[in-house]
Amino acid sequence: MKAELGSFIGRLQPGWIVECATDRYGVTVGWCVLEAAGDLLPFAAAVKEAGGRLSTITAYQPKDPDAAVREIAYHFDLDGDTLTATVRLPRRGAEIDSLTPLFRNADWNEREFMELYDIRVRNHPDPRRLFVDATVDPAVLDRLIPFSAMVNSASTKTLWERIMAKTGDEQ
Amino acid sequence: MTTYTIPVGPLHVALEEPMYFKVEVNGETVASVDINAGHVHRGVEYLTMQRNFYQNITLTERLCSLCSNSHPTTYCTALETIAGIRIPERAHYLRVIADEIKRVASNLFNVAIMAHIIGFDSLFMHVMETREVAQDVKETIFGNRMDLGANRIGGVRYDLDAKNQDYLSQQMERMKADLAEILDIYRNNAMIALRTVGVGVLPHDKALDYAVVGPVARGSGIAYDVRTKAPYAAYDRLDVPVVTETGGDVRARALVRLREVQVAIDLIQQCLRDMPDGPIAIGGLPRIPAGEAIAKSEAPRGELIYYLRTDGSDKPERLKWRVPSYMNWDALHVMMEGNRISDIPLIVNSIDPCISCTER
Repeated sequence: MKAELGSFIGRLQPGWIVECATDRYGVTVGWCVLEAAGDLLPFAAAVKEAGGRLSTITAYQPKDPDAAVREIAYHFDLDGDTLTATVRLPRRGAEIDSLTPLFRNADWNEREFMELYDIRVRNHPDPRRLFVDATVDPAVLDRLIPFSAMVNSASTKTLWERIMAKTGDEQ
Repeated sequence: MTTYTIPVGPLHVALEEPMYFKVEVNGETVASVDINAGHVHRGVEYLTMQRNFYQNITLTERLCSLCSNSHPTTYCTALETIAGIRIPERAHYLRVIADEIKRVASNLFNVAIMAHIIGFDSLFMHVMETREVAQDVKETIFGNRMDLGANRIGGVRYDLDAKNQDYLSQQMERMKADLAEILDIYRNNAMIALRTVGVGVLPHDKALDYAVVGPVARGSGIAYDVRTKAPYAAYDRLDVPVVTETGGDVRARALVRLREVQVAIDLIQQCLRDMPDGPIAIGGLPRIPAGEAIAKSEAPRGELIYYLRTDGSDKPERLKWRVPSYMNWDALHVMMEGNRISDIPLIVNSIDPCISCTER
Protein backbone atom coordinates (compact mmCIF):
# COMPACT_ATOMS: atom_id res chain seq x y z
CA MET A 1 0.00 0.00 0.00
CA LYS A 2 0.99 3.62 -0.54
CA ALA A 3 2.61 5.62 2.27
CA GLU A 4 -0.53 7.78 2.65
CA LEU A 5 -2.79 4.79 3.40
CA GLY A 6 -0.12 3.40 5.71
CA SER A 7 -0.03 6.74 7.51
CA PHE A 8 -3.80 6.63 7.92
CA ILE A 9 -3.68 3.06 9.25
CA GLY A 10 -1.29 4.38 11.91
CA ARG A 11 -3.99 6.84 13.03
CA LEU A 12 -6.76 4.27 13.51
CA GLN A 13 -8.83 4.71 16.66
CA PRO A 14 -10.44 1.89 18.68
CA GLY A 15 -13.39 0.44 16.80
CA TRP A 16 -12.17 1.46 13.36
CA ILE A 17 -11.34 -1.78 11.56
CA VAL A 18 -10.01 -1.43 8.02
CA GLU A 19 -9.91 -4.49 5.76
CA CYS A 20 -7.49 -4.05 2.88
CA ALA A 21 -6.97 -5.93 -0.36
CA THR A 22 -4.13 -5.26 -2.79
CA ASP A 23 -4.50 -6.22 -6.45
CA ARG A 24 -1.81 -7.46 -8.82
CA TYR A 25 -1.00 -3.87 -9.81
CA GLY A 26 -0.16 -3.07 -6.19
CA VAL A 27 -3.24 -0.87 -5.78
CA THR A 28 -4.88 -1.20 -2.36
CA VAL A 29 -8.55 -0.81 -1.57
CA GLY A 30 -9.57 -0.51 2.09
CA TRP A 31 -13.03 -0.88 3.63
CA CYS A 32 -14.24 0.24 7.03
CA VAL A 33 -17.69 0.26 8.64
CA LEU A 34 -18.29 3.04 11.16
CA GLU A 35 -20.97 1.84 13.55
CA ALA A 36 -21.18 5.28 15.19
CA ALA A 37 -22.07 8.10 12.79
CA GLY A 38 -20.25 10.48 15.15
CA ASP A 39 -17.00 8.81 14.12
CA LEU A 40 -17.27 10.16 10.58
CA LEU A 41 -15.67 13.56 11.19
CA PRO A 42 -12.69 12.26 13.22
CA PHE A 43 -12.24 9.48 10.64
CA ALA A 44 -12.27 11.98 7.76
CA ALA A 45 -9.91 14.29 9.68
CA ALA A 46 -7.45 11.40 10.05
CA VAL A 47 -7.72 10.73 6.29
CA LYS A 48 -6.97 14.37 5.56
CA GLU A 49 -3.99 14.40 7.93
CA ALA A 50 -2.65 11.37 6.08
CA GLY A 51 -2.84 13.29 2.78
CA GLY A 52 -6.17 11.91 1.55
CA ARG A 53 -8.72 13.45 -0.79
CA LEU A 54 -12.47 12.88 -0.86
CA SER A 55 -13.28 11.08 -4.13
CA THR A 56 -17.03 10.80 -3.84
CA ILE A 57 -19.91 9.82 -1.57
CA THR A 58 -22.46 7.09 -2.25
CA ALA A 59 -25.80 7.18 -0.47
CA TYR A 60 -28.24 4.41 -1.24
CA GLN A 61 -31.61 2.99 -0.47
CA PRO A 62 -31.69 -0.47 1.13
CA LYS A 63 -33.34 -2.98 -1.19
CA ASP A 64 -35.27 -4.45 1.74
CA PRO A 65 -38.21 -2.07 2.29
CA ASP A 66 -38.35 -3.06 5.98
CA ALA A 67 -34.67 -2.40 6.64
CA ALA A 68 -34.15 -0.32 9.79
CA VAL A 69 -30.83 1.15 8.68
CA ARG A 70 -29.46 2.90 5.65
CA GLU A 71 -25.85 3.42 4.66
CA ILE A 72 -23.67 6.13 3.19
CA ALA A 73 -20.29 5.16 1.76
CA TYR A 74 -17.53 7.79 1.76
CA HIS A 75 -14.74 7.07 -0.73
CA PHE A 76 -11.32 8.63 -0.15
CA ASP A 77 -8.29 8.63 -2.41
CA LEU A 78 -4.86 8.22 -0.80
CA ASP A 79 -2.37 8.69 -3.63
CA GLY A 80 -4.12 6.09 -5.80
CA ASP A 81 -5.27 3.74 -3.05
CA THR A 82 -8.95 3.99 -2.14
CA LEU A 83 -10.45 3.87 1.34
CA THR A 84 -14.20 3.52 1.78
CA ALA A 85 -15.86 4.29 5.11
CA THR A 86 -19.48 3.17 5.39
CA VAL A 87 -21.68 4.90 7.94
CA ARG A 88 -24.87 3.26 9.19
CA LEU A 89 -27.83 5.52 9.94
CA PRO A 90 -31.48 4.99 10.88
CA ARG A 91 -33.65 4.43 7.80
CA ARG A 92 -36.03 7.22 8.78
CA GLY A 93 -34.89 10.69 9.82
CA ALA A 94 -31.21 10.04 9.15
CA GLU A 95 -28.79 12.85 9.96
CA ILE A 96 -25.09 13.16 9.31
CA ASP A 97 -22.44 15.86 9.74
CA SER A 98 -21.23 17.70 6.66
CA LEU A 99 -17.70 16.90 5.54
CA THR A 100 -17.33 20.33 3.95
CA PRO A 101 -15.23 21.77 6.83
CA LEU A 102 -12.60 19.16 5.92
CA PHE A 103 -13.22 18.52 2.23
CA ARG A 104 -14.69 21.36 0.19
CA ASN A 105 -15.78 19.00 -2.60
CA ALA A 106 -18.21 17.24 -0.23
CA ASP A 107 -20.53 20.17 -1.00
CA TRP A 108 -22.09 18.91 -4.25
CA ASN A 109 -22.05 15.25 -3.12
CA GLU A 110 -24.03 16.09 0.02
CA ARG A 111 -26.48 18.34 -1.82
CA GLU A 112 -27.11 15.56 -4.32
CA PHE A 113 -27.90 12.87 -1.76
CA MET A 114 -30.05 15.22 0.29
CA GLU A 115 -32.41 15.75 -2.64
CA LEU A 116 -32.59 12.05 -3.52
CA TYR A 117 -32.80 10.44 -0.08
CA ASP A 118 -34.32 11.15 3.32
CA ILE A 119 -31.01 12.24 4.85
CA ARG A 120 -30.34 15.60 6.50
CA VAL A 121 -26.82 16.98 6.48
CA ARG A 122 -25.91 19.03 9.53
CA ASN A 123 -23.93 22.25 9.03
CA HIS A 124 -23.96 22.16 5.24
CA PRO A 125 -22.89 25.63 4.05
CA ASP A 126 -25.25 25.76 1.06
CA PRO A 127 -28.06 23.17 1.36
CA ARG A 128 -29.84 24.22 -1.85
CA ARG A 129 -30.96 21.86 -4.57
CA LEU A 130 -28.24 20.69 -6.93
CA PHE A 131 -30.00 18.90 -9.80
CA VAL A 132 -33.65 18.40 -8.87
CA ASP A 133 -35.88 21.46 -9.21
CA ALA A 134 -36.64 23.37 -6.00
CA THR A 135 -40.39 22.87 -6.50
CA VAL A 136 -40.07 19.08 -6.03
CA ASP A 137 -40.23 17.81 -2.43
CA PRO A 138 -36.97 16.26 -1.14
CA ALA A 139 -36.06 12.55 -0.75
CA VAL A 140 -37.26 11.80 -4.28
CA LEU A 141 -36.08 8.19 -4.42
CA ASP A 142 -37.41 7.37 -0.96
CA ARG A 143 -40.88 8.74 -1.66
CA LEU A 144 -41.77 8.09 -5.26
CA ILE A 145 -42.80 4.88 -6.99
CA PRO A 146 -40.79 4.54 -10.18
CA PHE A 147 -42.85 4.83 -13.32
CA SER A 148 -41.21 1.67 -14.67
CA ALA A 149 -42.30 -0.31 -11.60
CA MET A 150 -45.81 1.06 -11.87
CA VAL A 151 -46.40 0.40 -15.55
CA ASN A 152 -44.18 -2.60 -16.25
CA SER A 153 -44.08 -4.86 -13.26
CA ALA A 154 -47.36 -4.06 -11.54
CA SER A 155 -49.70 -3.87 -14.50
CA THR A 156 -48.03 -6.65 -16.44
CA LYS A 157 -48.38 -9.07 -13.51
CA THR A 158 -52.05 -8.21 -13.07
CA LEU A 159 -52.65 -8.49 -16.78
CA TRP A 160 -51.02 -11.91 -17.00
CA GLU A 161 -52.94 -13.18 -13.99
CA ARG A 162 -56.17 -12.20 -15.72
CA ILE A 163 -55.10 -13.81 -18.99
CA MET A 164 -54.06 -17.00 -17.20
CA ALA A 165 -57.33 -17.08 -15.26
CA LYS A 166 -59.35 -16.67 -18.48
CA THR A 167 -57.45 -19.39 -20.31
CA GLY A 168 -57.75 -21.68 -17.29
CA ASP A 169 -53.99 -21.91 -16.92
CA GLU A 170 -53.12 -21.40 -13.25
CA GLN A 171 -49.38 -21.22 -13.84
CA MET B 1 -19.54 51.49 -10.45
CA THR B 2 -22.87 49.73 -10.95
CA THR B 3 -23.17 46.00 -10.19
CA TYR B 4 -25.24 43.81 -12.47
CA THR B 5 -26.30 40.18 -12.40
CA ILE B 6 -26.00 38.54 -15.81
CA PRO B 7 -27.68 35.22 -16.54
CA VAL B 8 -25.55 32.97 -18.76
CA GLY B 9 -27.29 29.80 -19.93
CA PRO B 10 -28.85 27.31 -19.90
CA LEU B 11 -29.52 27.98 -23.57
CA HIS B 12 -26.92 30.62 -24.26
CA VAL B 13 -25.26 31.18 -27.60
CA ALA B 14 -21.78 31.07 -26.13
CA LEU B 15 -22.21 27.80 -24.25
CA GLU B 16 -22.19 24.44 -25.98
CA GLU B 17 -24.16 22.69 -23.24
CA PRO B 18 -27.04 23.54 -20.87
CA MET B 19 -25.59 24.86 -17.62
CA TYR B 20 -26.89 28.04 -16.04
CA PHE B 21 -24.61 30.64 -14.47
CA LYS B 22 -25.63 33.73 -12.59
CA VAL B 23 -22.68 36.06 -12.87
CA GLU B 24 -22.30 39.14 -10.66
CA VAL B 25 -20.26 41.75 -12.47
CA ASN B 26 -18.63 45.05 -11.63
CA GLY B 27 -18.37 46.82 -14.95
CA GLU B 28 -16.73 44.28 -17.28
CA THR B 29 -15.25 42.22 -14.44
CA VAL B 30 -16.73 39.06 -12.90
CA ALA B 31 -17.29 39.51 -9.16
CA SER B 32 -18.87 36.14 -8.33
CA VAL B 33 -20.55 33.17 -9.96
CA ASP B 34 -23.49 30.99 -8.99
CA ILE B 35 -23.91 27.70 -10.83
CA ASN B 36 -27.38 26.27 -11.39
CA ALA B 37 -27.40 22.66 -12.63
CA GLY B 38 -30.00 20.00 -13.34
CA HIS B 39 -31.11 20.79 -16.88
CA VAL B 40 -30.15 17.36 -18.24
CA HIS B 41 -30.51 15.23 -15.10
CA ARG B 42 -31.80 11.87 -16.36
CA GLY B 43 -31.57 9.57 -13.32
CA VAL B 44 -29.23 7.15 -15.14
CA GLU B 45 -27.73 5.81 -11.90
CA TYR B 46 -31.19 4.78 -10.80
CA LEU B 47 -31.85 3.21 -14.21
CA THR B 48 -28.75 1.02 -13.91
CA MET B 49 -30.24 -0.55 -10.80
CA GLN B 50 -33.33 -1.58 -12.78
CA ARG B 51 -31.26 -3.31 -15.51
CA ASN B 52 -29.06 -6.38 -15.46
CA PHE B 53 -25.27 -6.30 -15.54
CA TYR B 54 -25.10 -6.89 -19.30
CA GLN B 55 -27.66 -4.24 -20.22
CA ASN B 56 -25.70 -1.75 -18.15
CA ILE B 57 -22.63 -2.05 -20.38
CA THR B 58 -24.74 -0.48 -23.14
CA LEU B 59 -26.35 2.06 -20.82
CA THR B 60 -23.13 3.32 -19.22
CA GLU B 61 -21.57 3.79 -22.66
CA ARG B 62 -24.38 6.23 -23.46
CA LEU B 63 -23.77 8.55 -20.51
CA CYS B 64 -21.50 10.73 -22.53
CA SER B 65 -20.26 10.81 -26.09
CA LEU B 66 -16.70 12.06 -25.78
CA CYS B 67 -15.58 9.78 -22.93
CA SER B 68 -18.11 7.03 -23.68
CA ASN B 69 -15.59 4.20 -23.58
CA SER B 70 -14.25 5.07 -20.12
CA HIS B 71 -17.61 4.25 -18.52
CA PRO B 72 -18.13 0.62 -19.65
CA THR B 73 -14.39 -0.08 -19.20
CA THR B 74 -14.50 1.04 -15.57
CA TYR B 75 -17.87 -0.57 -14.93
CA CYS B 76 -16.66 -3.92 -16.33
CA THR B 77 -13.49 -3.66 -14.22
CA ALA B 78 -15.64 -3.28 -11.09
CA LEU B 79 -17.71 -6.36 -12.05
CA GLU B 80 -14.57 -8.37 -12.81
CA THR B 81 -13.10 -7.41 -9.42
CA ILE B 82 -16.18 -8.67 -7.59
CA ALA B 83 -16.33 -11.89 -9.63
CA GLY B 84 -12.55 -12.46 -9.37
CA ILE B 85 -12.27 -12.57 -13.17
CA ARG B 86 -8.81 -12.25 -14.67
CA ILE B 87 -9.18 -11.05 -18.24
CA PRO B 88 -6.78 -12.17 -20.99
CA GLU B 89 -3.59 -10.14 -21.45
CA ARG B 90 -4.48 -9.18 -25.00
CA ALA B 91 -7.77 -7.73 -23.77
CA HIS B 92 -5.90 -5.40 -21.37
CA TYR B 93 -3.97 -3.92 -24.28
CA LEU B 94 -7.08 -3.65 -26.46
CA ARG B 95 -8.83 -1.76 -23.65
CA VAL B 96 -5.93 0.70 -23.51
CA ILE B 97 -6.04 1.22 -27.29
CA ALA B 98 -9.79 1.93 -27.24
CA ASP B 99 -9.48 4.37 -24.32
CA GLU B 100 -6.52 6.22 -25.82
CA ILE B 101 -8.17 6.64 -29.24
CA LYS B 102 -11.10 8.22 -27.41
CA ARG B 103 -8.70 10.48 -25.50
CA VAL B 104 -7.13 11.71 -28.76
CA ALA B 105 -10.54 12.65 -30.20
CA SER B 106 -11.89 14.13 -26.95
CA ASN B 107 -8.88 16.33 -26.15
CA LEU B 108 -8.57 17.62 -29.71
CA PHE B 109 -12.27 18.50 -29.75
CA ASN B 110 -11.83 20.64 -26.63
CA VAL B 111 -8.80 22.55 -27.85
CA ALA B 112 -10.49 23.06 -31.23
CA ILE B 113 -13.50 24.65 -29.51
CA MET B 114 -11.11 26.89 -27.61
CA ALA B 115 -9.77 28.23 -30.93
CA HIS B 116 -13.35 28.73 -32.15
CA ILE B 117 -14.29 30.75 -29.04
CA ILE B 118 -11.25 32.96 -29.52
CA GLY B 119 -12.33 33.55 -33.12
CA PHE B 120 -9.31 31.74 -34.58
CA ASP B 121 -11.44 29.63 -36.90
CA SER B 122 -8.65 28.59 -39.25
CA LEU B 123 -6.98 26.95 -36.23
CA PHE B 124 -10.31 25.40 -35.24
CA MET B 125 -10.53 23.79 -38.71
CA HIS B 126 -6.90 22.68 -38.55
CA VAL B 127 -7.41 20.89 -35.21
CA MET B 128 -10.73 19.36 -36.28
CA GLU B 129 -9.15 18.10 -39.50
CA THR B 130 -6.42 16.40 -37.47
CA ARG B 131 -9.04 15.01 -35.09
CA GLU B 132 -10.87 13.58 -38.10
CA VAL B 133 -8.06 11.01 -38.41
CA ALA B 134 -9.04 9.66 -34.98
CA GLN B 135 -12.70 9.68 -35.99
CA ASP B 136 -11.89 7.70 -39.14
CA VAL B 137 -9.87 5.23 -37.07
CA LYS B 138 -12.86 4.66 -34.76
CA GLU B 139 -15.21 4.20 -37.68
CA THR B 140 -12.85 1.79 -39.43
CA ILE B 141 -12.00 -0.36 -36.42
CA PHE B 142 -15.17 -0.20 -34.33
CA GLY B 143 -17.79 0.71 -36.93
CA ASN B 144 -18.79 3.86 -35.03
CA ARG B 145 -17.43 7.37 -34.69
CA MET B 146 -18.40 7.82 -31.02
CA ASP B 147 -19.64 4.73 -29.12
CA LEU B 148 -17.14 1.93 -29.65
CA GLY B 149 -19.00 -1.01 -28.10
CA ALA B 150 -15.56 -2.37 -27.23
CA ASN B 151 -16.19 -3.87 -23.79
CA ARG B 152 -17.69 -6.96 -22.31
CA ILE B 153 -17.48 -8.56 -18.90
CA GLY B 154 -14.25 -10.56 -18.99
CA GLY B 155 -12.58 -8.81 -21.90
CA VAL B 156 -13.33 -6.93 -25.09
CA ARG B 157 -15.58 -7.35 -28.11
CA TYR B 158 -13.12 -6.36 -30.81
CA ASP B 159 -9.77 -7.52 -32.07
CA LEU B 160 -7.11 -6.08 -34.33
CA ASP B 161 -5.85 -8.27 -37.15
CA ALA B 162 -2.51 -7.55 -38.81
CA LYS B 163 -4.14 -5.33 -41.45
CA ASN B 164 -5.92 -3.18 -38.88
CA GLN B 165 -2.81 -2.98 -36.72
CA ASP B 166 -0.86 -1.62 -39.70
CA TYR B 167 -3.66 0.81 -40.49
CA LEU B 168 -3.86 2.04 -36.88
CA SER B 169 -0.10 2.47 -36.66
CA GLN B 170 0.01 4.44 -39.93
CA GLN B 171 -2.83 6.73 -38.87
CA MET B 172 -1.18 7.47 -35.52
CA GLU B 173 2.07 8.26 -37.32
CA ARG B 174 0.16 10.49 -39.73
CA MET B 175 -1.09 12.71 -36.89
CA LYS B 176 2.29 13.45 -35.37
CA ALA B 177 3.52 16.25 -37.67
CA ASP B 178 0.16 18.07 -37.52
CA LEU B 179 0.10 17.74 -33.74
CA ALA B 180 3.58 19.20 -33.37
CA GLU B 181 2.52 22.17 -35.50
CA ILE B 182 -0.71 22.65 -33.52
CA LEU B 183 1.13 22.43 -30.20
CA ASP B 184 3.59 25.06 -31.40
CA ILE B 185 0.72 27.42 -32.28
CA TYR B 186 -0.98 26.97 -28.89
CA ARG B 187 2.33 27.48 -27.14
CA ASN B 188 3.72 30.45 -29.10
CA ASN B 189 1.03 32.27 -31.09
CA ALA B 190 0.61 35.85 -29.84
CA MET B 191 -3.17 35.95 -30.33
CA ILE B 192 -3.66 32.70 -28.43
CA ALA B 193 -1.40 33.99 -25.65
CA LEU B 194 -3.30 37.27 -25.45
CA ARG B 195 -6.60 35.51 -24.79
CA THR B 196 -5.44 32.56 -22.67
CA VAL B 197 -2.33 33.37 -20.62
CA GLY B 198 -3.22 34.50 -17.12
CA VAL B 199 -6.92 33.97 -17.88
CA GLY B 200 -9.04 31.72 -15.65
CA VAL B 201 -6.18 31.00 -13.28
CA LEU B 202 -6.56 28.16 -10.78
CA PRO B 203 -3.54 28.32 -8.44
CA HIS B 204 -1.97 25.08 -7.24
CA ASP B 205 -3.26 25.43 -3.66
CA LYS B 206 -6.81 26.11 -4.86
CA ALA B 207 -6.64 23.13 -7.23
CA LEU B 208 -5.84 20.94 -4.22
CA ASP B 209 -8.57 22.58 -2.14
CA TYR B 210 -11.23 22.03 -4.81
CA ALA B 211 -9.96 18.45 -5.41
CA VAL B 212 -9.96 18.93 -9.19
CA VAL B 213 -8.66 16.13 -11.37
CA GLY B 214 -7.40 15.42 -14.87
CA PRO B 215 -5.97 18.11 -17.18
CA VAL B 216 -7.49 20.81 -14.92
CA ALA B 217 -5.38 19.55 -11.99
CA ARG B 218 -2.32 18.86 -14.11
CA GLY B 219 -2.56 22.35 -15.64
CA SER B 220 -2.11 23.65 -12.09
CA GLY B 221 0.92 21.47 -11.48
CA ILE B 222 -0.68 18.50 -9.71
CA ALA B 223 1.02 15.38 -11.06
CA TYR B 224 -1.87 12.99 -10.50
CA ASP B 225 -2.86 10.54 -13.24
CA VAL B 226 -4.82 7.37 -12.43
CA ARG B 227 -2.88 5.50 -15.11
CA THR B 228 0.26 5.78 -12.97
CA LYS B 229 -1.15 6.27 -9.45
CA ALA B 230 -3.56 3.32 -9.60
CA PRO B 231 -2.66 1.39 -12.76
CA TYR B 232 -5.23 -0.81 -14.50
CA ALA B 233 -5.51 -2.69 -17.80
CA ALA B 234 -1.99 -2.70 -19.33
CA TYR B 235 -0.84 0.70 -18.06
CA ASP B 236 1.55 -0.83 -15.52
CA ARG B 237 3.52 -2.31 -18.42
CA LEU B 238 3.56 0.86 -20.52
CA ASP B 239 5.64 4.00 -20.25
CA VAL B 240 3.10 6.68 -19.24
CA PRO B 241 4.69 10.12 -18.70
CA VAL B 242 2.51 12.36 -16.51
CA VAL B 243 2.05 15.71 -18.27
CA THR B 244 1.91 18.84 -16.13
CA GLU B 245 1.98 22.58 -16.70
CA THR B 246 2.36 25.22 -14.03
CA GLY B 247 0.44 28.22 -15.41
CA GLY B 248 -2.94 27.10 -14.03
CA ASP B 249 -4.62 29.17 -16.76
CA VAL B 250 -6.66 28.46 -19.89
CA ARG B 251 -3.55 27.92 -21.98
CA ALA B 252 -1.93 25.57 -19.44
CA ARG B 253 -5.01 23.32 -19.51
CA ALA B 254 -5.04 23.31 -23.33
CA LEU B 255 -1.32 22.49 -23.46
CA VAL B 256 -1.81 19.57 -21.08
CA ARG B 257 -4.56 18.19 -23.32
CA LEU B 258 -2.51 18.56 -26.49
CA ARG B 259 0.56 16.97 -24.94
CA GLU B 260 -1.64 14.15 -23.64
CA VAL B 261 -2.77 13.50 -27.21
CA GLN B 262 0.88 12.94 -28.07
CA VAL B 263 1.21 10.60 -25.08
CA ALA B 264 -1.96 8.75 -26.15
CA ILE B 265 -0.57 8.18 -29.64
CA ASP B 266 2.67 6.89 -28.15
CA LEU B 267 0.71 4.57 -25.82
CA ILE B 268 -1.26 3.16 -28.77
CA GLN B 269 2.00 2.49 -30.58
CA GLN B 270 3.50 0.87 -27.46
CA CYS B 271 0.44 -1.39 -27.29
CA LEU B 272 0.73 -2.35 -30.96
CA ARG B 273 4.39 -3.24 -30.33
CA ASP B 274 3.90 -5.19 -27.09
CA MET B 275 0.41 -6.70 -27.33
CA PRO B 276 0.58 -10.48 -26.97
CA ASP B 277 -1.43 -12.92 -29.08
CA GLY B 278 -4.22 -14.81 -27.45
CA PRO B 279 -7.91 -14.66 -26.58
CA ILE B 280 -9.71 -11.34 -26.20
CA ALA B 281 -12.22 -12.42 -23.56
CA ILE B 282 -13.15 -15.24 -21.24
CA GLY B 283 -15.90 -17.50 -22.49
CA GLY B 284 -19.54 -17.52 -21.41
CA LEU B 285 -21.58 -15.14 -19.31
CA PRO B 286 -20.00 -15.01 -15.86
CA ARG B 287 -22.18 -14.99 -12.76
CA ILE B 288 -21.56 -12.02 -10.48
CA PRO B 289 -21.62 -12.91 -6.77
CA ALA B 290 -22.50 -10.58 -3.87
CA GLY B 291 -19.76 -8.12 -3.11
CA GLU B 292 -18.52 -4.58 -3.52
CA ALA B 293 -15.73 -3.02 -5.53
CA ILE B 294 -14.06 0.23 -6.49
CA ALA B 295 -12.76 0.76 -10.01
CA LYS B 296 -10.96 3.83 -11.29
CA SER B 297 -9.68 5.02 -14.62
CA GLU B 298 -8.17 8.13 -16.19
CA ALA B 299 -10.90 9.34 -18.53
CA PRO B 300 -10.04 12.20 -20.93
CA ARG B 301 -11.26 14.69 -18.29
CA GLY B 302 -9.56 12.95 -15.36
CA GLU B 303 -10.24 10.44 -12.62
CA LEU B 304 -13.43 8.45 -13.09
CA ILE B 305 -14.46 6.33 -10.10
CA TYR B 306 -17.10 3.59 -9.97
CA TYR B 307 -18.48 2.01 -6.81
CA LEU B 308 -20.46 -1.17 -7.37
CA ARG B 309 -22.31 -3.21 -4.79
CA THR B 310 -23.95 -6.50 -5.72
CA ASP B 311 -26.21 -8.90 -3.84
CA GLY B 312 -25.97 -12.08 -5.90
CA SER B 313 -28.84 -11.12 -8.23
CA ASP B 314 -28.29 -10.08 -11.84
CA LYS B 315 -28.72 -6.35 -11.10
CA PRO B 316 -26.54 -3.91 -9.16
CA GLU B 317 -27.69 -3.25 -5.62
CA ARG B 318 -25.99 0.12 -6.00
CA LEU B 319 -23.96 1.55 -8.84
CA LYS B 320 -22.46 4.97 -8.32
CA TRP B 321 -19.93 6.82 -10.40
CA ARG B 322 -18.32 10.18 -10.05
CA VAL B 323 -17.09 11.82 -13.20
CA PRO B 324 -14.10 14.19 -13.34
CA SER B 325 -16.23 17.21 -14.29
CA TYR B 326 -18.10 16.93 -10.97
CA MET B 327 -15.46 18.81 -8.95
CA ASN B 328 -14.08 20.81 -11.83
CA TRP B 329 -17.32 22.82 -12.11
CA ASP B 330 -16.99 24.15 -8.58
CA ALA B 331 -13.47 25.41 -9.32
CA LEU B 332 -14.99 27.84 -11.85
CA HIS B 333 -15.71 30.07 -8.86
CA VAL B 334 -11.97 30.62 -8.50
CA MET B 335 -11.19 30.70 -12.21
CA MET B 336 -13.83 33.28 -13.14
CA GLU B 337 -13.59 35.87 -10.38
CA GLY B 338 -11.67 38.94 -11.51
CA ASN B 339 -11.81 37.95 -15.17
CA ARG B 340 -13.64 39.72 -18.00
CA ILE B 341 -17.20 38.85 -19.00
CA SER B 342 -15.98 38.13 -22.53
CA ASP B 343 -13.69 35.39 -21.17
CA ILE B 344 -16.50 33.42 -19.48
CA PRO B 345 -17.09 30.97 -22.38
CA LEU B 346 -13.34 30.48 -22.75
CA ILE B 347 -12.90 29.69 -19.04
CA VAL B 348 -15.92 27.35 -18.96
CA ASN B 349 -14.56 25.52 -22.02
CA SER B 350 -11.14 25.23 -20.37
CA ILE B 351 -12.43 22.75 -17.80
CA ASP B 352 -13.71 20.66 -20.76
CA PRO B 353 -17.01 20.30 -18.92
CA CYS B 354 -19.34 17.40 -19.51
CA ILE B 355 -22.83 18.16 -18.29
CA SER B 356 -24.42 14.89 -19.37
CA CYS B 357 -21.75 13.07 -17.32
CA THR B 358 -22.05 15.37 -14.31
CA GLU B 359 -25.81 15.22 -13.97
CA ARG B 360 -26.29 11.66 -15.18
